[in-house]
Amino acid sequence: MSYKVTEENNVSIVHLDGEIDMDVTEKAKEVIMPLIEAKKEVHLNLKDVQYMDSSGISVLIESHQKATELGTKVVLKDISKSVLKVIMMAKLEQILNLG
Amino acid sequence: MNSSVENNISEKKDFVVSSSSLKDVRSFSREVFSKVNLNQDLKDELVLAIAEAAQNIVKHAYQNQETDDKMEIKISLDNGELEIGFFDKGRPVDNSNVRHRKIDDVKPGGLGTFFIKQIMDAVVFKEGEKPWINHLILTKKINY
Repeated sequence: MSYKVTEENNVSIVHLDGEIDMDVTEKAKEVIMPLIEAKKEVHLNLKDVQYMDSSGISVLIESHQKATELGTKVVLKDISKSVLKVIMMAKLEQILNLG
Repeated sequence: MNSSVENNISEKKDFVVSSSSLKDVRSFSREVFSKVNLNQDLKDELVLAIAEAAQNIVKHAYQNQETDDKMEIKISLDNGELEIGFFDKGRPVDNSNVRHRKIDDVKPGGLGTFFIKQIMDAVVFKEGEKPWINHLILTKKINY
Protein backbone atom coordinates (compact mmCIF):
# COMPACT_ATOMS: atom_id res chain seq x y z
CA MET A 1 0.00 0.00 0.00
CA SER A 2 1.18 3.49 -0.74
CA TYR A 3 -0.49 6.79 0.02
CA LYS A 4 -0.44 10.51 -0.67
CA VAL A 5 -1.99 13.22 1.48
CA THR A 6 -3.13 16.51 -0.01
CA GLU A 7 -4.98 19.46 1.47
CA GLU A 8 -7.84 21.26 -0.21
CA ASN A 9 -10.19 23.85 1.34
CA ASN A 10 -9.35 22.66 4.84
CA VAL A 11 -10.09 19.05 3.91
CA SER A 12 -7.36 16.43 4.12
CA ILE A 13 -7.50 14.07 1.17
CA VAL A 14 -5.77 10.73 1.61
CA HIS A 15 -5.20 8.85 -1.64
CA LEU A 16 -4.65 5.18 -0.85
CA ASP A 17 -3.15 2.89 -3.45
CA GLY A 18 -2.70 -0.89 -3.58
CA GLU A 19 -4.03 -3.68 -1.41
CA ILE A 20 -5.15 -3.04 2.16
CA ASP A 21 -4.87 -6.07 4.41
CA MET A 22 -3.88 -6.87 7.98
CA ASP A 23 -0.22 -6.31 7.13
CA VAL A 24 -0.71 -2.60 6.31
CA THR A 25 -3.56 -1.52 8.57
CA GLU A 26 -1.23 -0.02 11.18
CA LYS A 27 0.43 2.06 8.47
CA ALA A 28 -2.98 3.20 7.20
CA LYS A 29 -4.07 4.16 10.72
CA GLU A 30 -0.82 6.07 11.29
CA VAL A 31 -1.69 8.20 8.27
CA ILE A 32 -5.41 8.69 8.88
CA MET A 33 -5.83 8.92 12.66
CA PRO A 34 -3.64 12.00 13.31
CA LEU A 35 -5.66 13.94 10.72
CA ILE A 36 -8.90 12.98 12.48
CA GLU A 37 -7.40 13.77 15.88
CA ALA A 38 -6.54 17.22 14.50
CA LYS A 39 -10.32 17.45 13.88
CA LYS A 40 -9.92 17.76 10.14
CA GLU A 41 -12.49 16.53 7.69
CA VAL A 42 -10.83 13.60 5.94
CA HIS A 43 -11.63 12.28 2.49
CA LEU A 44 -10.28 8.83 1.73
CA ASN A 45 -9.86 8.37 -2.01
CA LEU A 46 -10.17 4.64 -2.69
CA LYS A 47 -10.03 4.71 -6.49
CA ASP A 48 -6.73 2.87 -6.61
CA VAL A 49 -7.37 0.35 -3.85
CA GLN A 50 -7.72 -2.95 -5.70
CA TYR A 51 -8.30 -5.13 -2.64
CA MET A 52 -9.50 -4.61 0.91
CA ASP A 53 -10.16 -7.28 3.52
CA SER A 54 -11.88 -7.20 6.90
CA SER A 55 -8.84 -5.51 8.47
CA GLY A 56 -9.14 -2.65 6.00
CA ILE A 57 -12.86 -2.41 6.69
CA SER A 58 -12.02 -2.18 10.40
CA VAL A 59 -9.82 0.85 9.66
CA LEU A 60 -12.74 2.50 7.86
CA ILE A 61 -15.08 1.79 10.80
CA GLU A 62 -12.54 2.98 13.38
CA SER A 63 -11.86 6.16 11.41
CA HIS A 64 -15.56 6.87 11.01
CA GLN A 65 -16.26 6.33 14.70
CA LYS A 66 -13.29 8.42 15.85
CA ALA A 67 -14.31 11.26 13.54
CA THR A 68 -17.89 11.17 14.77
CA GLU A 69 -16.66 11.22 18.38
CA LEU A 70 -14.53 14.31 17.64
CA GLY A 71 -17.23 16.14 15.71
CA THR A 72 -15.71 15.79 12.26
CA LYS A 73 -16.18 13.28 9.45
CA VAL A 74 -14.49 10.81 7.15
CA VAL A 75 -15.89 10.60 3.62
CA LEU A 76 -15.04 7.72 1.28
CA LYS A 77 -14.49 8.99 -2.27
CA ASP A 78 -14.17 7.32 -5.69
CA ILE A 79 -14.58 3.89 -4.14
CA SER A 80 -13.27 1.13 -6.41
CA LYS A 81 -15.68 -1.62 -7.41
CA SER A 82 -13.87 -4.26 -5.37
CA VAL A 83 -13.82 -2.14 -2.20
CA LEU A 84 -17.49 -1.17 -2.61
CA LYS A 85 -18.37 -4.84 -2.86
CA VAL A 86 -16.67 -5.57 0.47
CA ILE A 87 -18.30 -2.54 2.13
CA MET A 88 -21.69 -3.82 0.95
CA MET A 89 -20.89 -7.36 2.07
CA ALA A 90 -20.26 -5.88 5.54
CA LYS A 91 -23.58 -3.98 5.22
CA LEU A 92 -21.84 -0.69 5.93
CA GLU A 93 -23.02 1.36 2.95
CA GLN A 94 -25.65 3.10 5.11
CA ILE A 95 -23.27 3.66 8.00
CA LEU A 96 -20.05 4.97 6.47
CA ASN A 97 -20.11 8.27 4.55
CA LEU A 98 -19.93 7.35 0.88
CA GLY A 99 -19.35 10.51 -1.12
CA MET B 1 -12.64 -22.76 -25.80
CA ASN B 2 -9.30 -22.09 -24.12
CA SER B 3 -7.67 -25.48 -23.69
CA SER B 4 -5.60 -24.19 -20.74
CA VAL B 5 -8.77 -23.70 -18.68
CA GLU B 6 -9.52 -26.69 -16.43
CA ASN B 7 -12.47 -27.61 -14.28
CA ASN B 8 -10.63 -29.98 -11.97
CA ILE B 9 -7.61 -28.86 -9.97
CA SER B 10 -5.76 -29.70 -6.80
CA GLU B 11 -2.91 -27.49 -5.69
CA LYS B 12 -1.33 -26.76 -2.36
CA LYS B 13 1.32 -24.45 -0.98
CA ASP B 14 2.98 -23.66 2.36
CA PHE B 15 3.24 -20.16 3.79
CA VAL B 16 4.99 -18.82 6.86
CA VAL B 17 2.35 -17.92 9.45
CA SER B 18 2.65 -14.14 9.27
CA SER B 19 0.57 -11.19 8.14
CA SER B 20 3.29 -10.50 5.58
CA SER B 21 2.38 -13.82 3.89
CA LEU B 22 -1.18 -12.75 3.15
CA LYS B 23 -0.27 -11.15 -0.19
CA ASP B 24 1.43 -14.40 -1.19
CA VAL B 25 -1.68 -16.32 -0.14
CA ARG B 26 -3.74 -14.08 -2.43
CA SER B 27 -1.25 -14.46 -5.29
CA PHE B 28 -1.33 -18.26 -4.96
CA SER B 29 -5.14 -18.28 -4.86
CA ARG B 30 -5.43 -15.98 -7.89
CA GLU B 31 -2.95 -18.12 -9.78
CA VAL B 32 -4.92 -21.30 -9.03
CA PHE B 33 -8.28 -19.73 -9.91
CA SER B 34 -6.83 -18.31 -13.15
CA LYS B 35 -6.72 -21.93 -14.36
CA VAL B 36 -10.43 -22.60 -13.88
CA ASN B 37 -13.51 -21.38 -15.60
CA LEU B 38 -15.21 -19.21 -12.97
CA ASN B 39 -16.51 -15.68 -13.26
CA GLN B 40 -14.19 -12.97 -11.97
CA ASP B 41 -16.54 -11.78 -9.19
CA LEU B 42 -16.64 -15.29 -7.73
CA LYS B 43 -12.87 -15.62 -8.03
CA ASP B 44 -12.45 -12.34 -6.12
CA GLU B 45 -14.82 -13.53 -3.39
CA LEU B 46 -13.00 -16.85 -3.05
CA VAL B 47 -9.64 -15.08 -2.79
CA LEU B 48 -11.12 -12.90 -0.01
CA ALA B 49 -12.47 -15.95 1.85
CA ILE B 50 -9.10 -17.72 1.62
CA ALA B 51 -7.17 -14.64 2.76
CA GLU B 52 -9.58 -14.13 5.68
CA ALA B 53 -9.15 -17.74 6.80
CA ALA B 54 -5.35 -17.40 6.57
CA GLN B 55 -5.57 -14.16 8.53
CA ASN B 56 -7.56 -15.95 11.23
CA ILE B 57 -4.74 -18.48 11.58
CA VAL B 58 -2.25 -15.62 12.11
CA LYS B 59 -4.54 -13.76 14.52
CA HIS B 60 -6.19 -16.54 16.45
CA ALA B 61 -4.30 -19.84 16.16
CA TYR B 62 -0.99 -17.97 16.62
CA GLN B 63 -2.33 -14.84 18.37
CA ASN B 64 -0.14 -12.61 16.14
CA GLN B 65 3.02 -14.14 17.59
CA GLU B 66 6.08 -14.40 15.40
CA THR B 67 6.80 -17.94 14.33
CA ASP B 68 8.73 -19.94 11.77
CA ASP B 69 5.80 -22.36 11.52
CA LYS B 70 4.12 -22.79 8.21
CA MET B 71 0.49 -23.19 7.28
CA GLU B 72 -0.61 -25.18 4.28
CA ILE B 73 -3.43 -24.20 1.95
CA LYS B 74 -4.87 -26.73 -0.46
CA ILE B 75 -7.37 -25.75 -3.15
CA SER B 76 -9.23 -28.58 -4.87
CA LEU B 77 -12.00 -28.42 -7.43
CA ASP B 78 -13.53 -31.70 -8.49
CA ASN B 79 -16.65 -31.80 -10.63
CA GLY B 80 -18.01 -28.54 -9.28
CA GLU B 81 -17.14 -29.24 -5.64
CA LEU B 82 -14.66 -26.68 -4.40
CA GLU B 83 -12.81 -27.59 -1.21
CA ILE B 84 -10.22 -25.34 0.40
CA GLY B 85 -8.21 -26.85 3.23
CA PHE B 86 -6.14 -24.92 5.78
CA PHE B 87 -3.67 -26.76 7.99
CA ASP B 88 -1.77 -25.18 10.86
CA LYS B 89 0.16 -26.10 14.01
CA GLY B 90 -1.11 -23.28 16.20
CA ARG B 91 -3.33 -23.23 19.26
CA PRO B 92 -6.17 -25.75 18.89
CA VAL B 93 -9.31 -24.03 17.66
CA ASP B 94 -12.42 -24.56 19.74
CA ASN B 95 -15.13 -24.80 17.13
CA SER B 96 -17.76 -23.52 19.57
CA ASN B 97 -15.79 -20.26 19.97
CA VAL B 98 -15.69 -19.53 16.25
CA ARG B 99 -18.38 -17.02 15.48
CA HIS B 100 -18.62 -13.65 13.85
CA ARG B 101 -19.94 -10.59 15.61
CA LYS B 102 -23.51 -9.49 15.05
CA ILE B 103 -23.40 -7.60 11.80
CA ASP B 104 -25.55 -4.70 13.09
CA ASP B 105 -23.15 -4.22 16.02
CA VAL B 106 -20.86 -1.88 14.11
CA LYS B 107 -17.36 -2.02 15.49
CA PRO B 108 -13.91 -2.79 14.12
CA GLY B 109 -13.05 -6.50 13.99
CA GLY B 110 -14.96 -9.75 13.78
CA LEU B 111 -15.87 -9.43 10.12
CA GLY B 112 -13.49 -12.00 8.63
CA THR B 113 -15.49 -15.03 9.71
CA PHE B 114 -18.68 -13.27 8.59
CA PHE B 115 -17.21 -12.79 5.11
CA ILE B 116 -16.10 -16.43 4.93
CA LYS B 117 -19.58 -17.64 5.88
CA GLN B 118 -21.18 -15.26 3.35
CA ILE B 119 -18.99 -16.56 0.54
CA MET B 120 -18.70 -20.28 1.26
CA ASP B 121 -21.42 -22.93 1.65
CA ALA B 122 -19.83 -24.66 4.65
CA VAL B 123 -17.08 -24.04 7.18
CA VAL B 124 -15.87 -27.06 9.15
CA PHE B 125 -13.10 -27.29 11.75
CA LYS B 126 -11.44 -30.63 12.29
CA GLU B 127 -8.60 -31.80 14.41
CA GLY B 128 -5.59 -31.93 12.10
CA GLU B 129 -3.82 -35.18 11.36
CA LYS B 130 -0.17 -35.16 12.45
CA PRO B 131 1.83 -32.97 12.13
CA TRP B 132 -1.06 -30.52 11.93
CA ILE B 133 -3.13 -29.30 14.89
CA ASN B 134 -6.01 -27.61 13.07
CA HIS B 135 -7.68 -28.44 9.78
CA LEU B 136 -10.23 -25.96 8.48
CA ILE B 137 -12.29 -26.98 5.47
CA LEU B 138 -14.23 -24.46 3.38
CA THR B 139 -16.52 -25.86 0.71
CA LYS B 140 -18.67 -24.45 -2.04
CA LYS B 141 -20.68 -25.94 -4.84
CA ILE B 142 -19.71 -24.26 -8.09
CA ASN B 143 -22.42 -23.83 -10.70
CA TYR B 144 -20.87 -23.33 -14.12
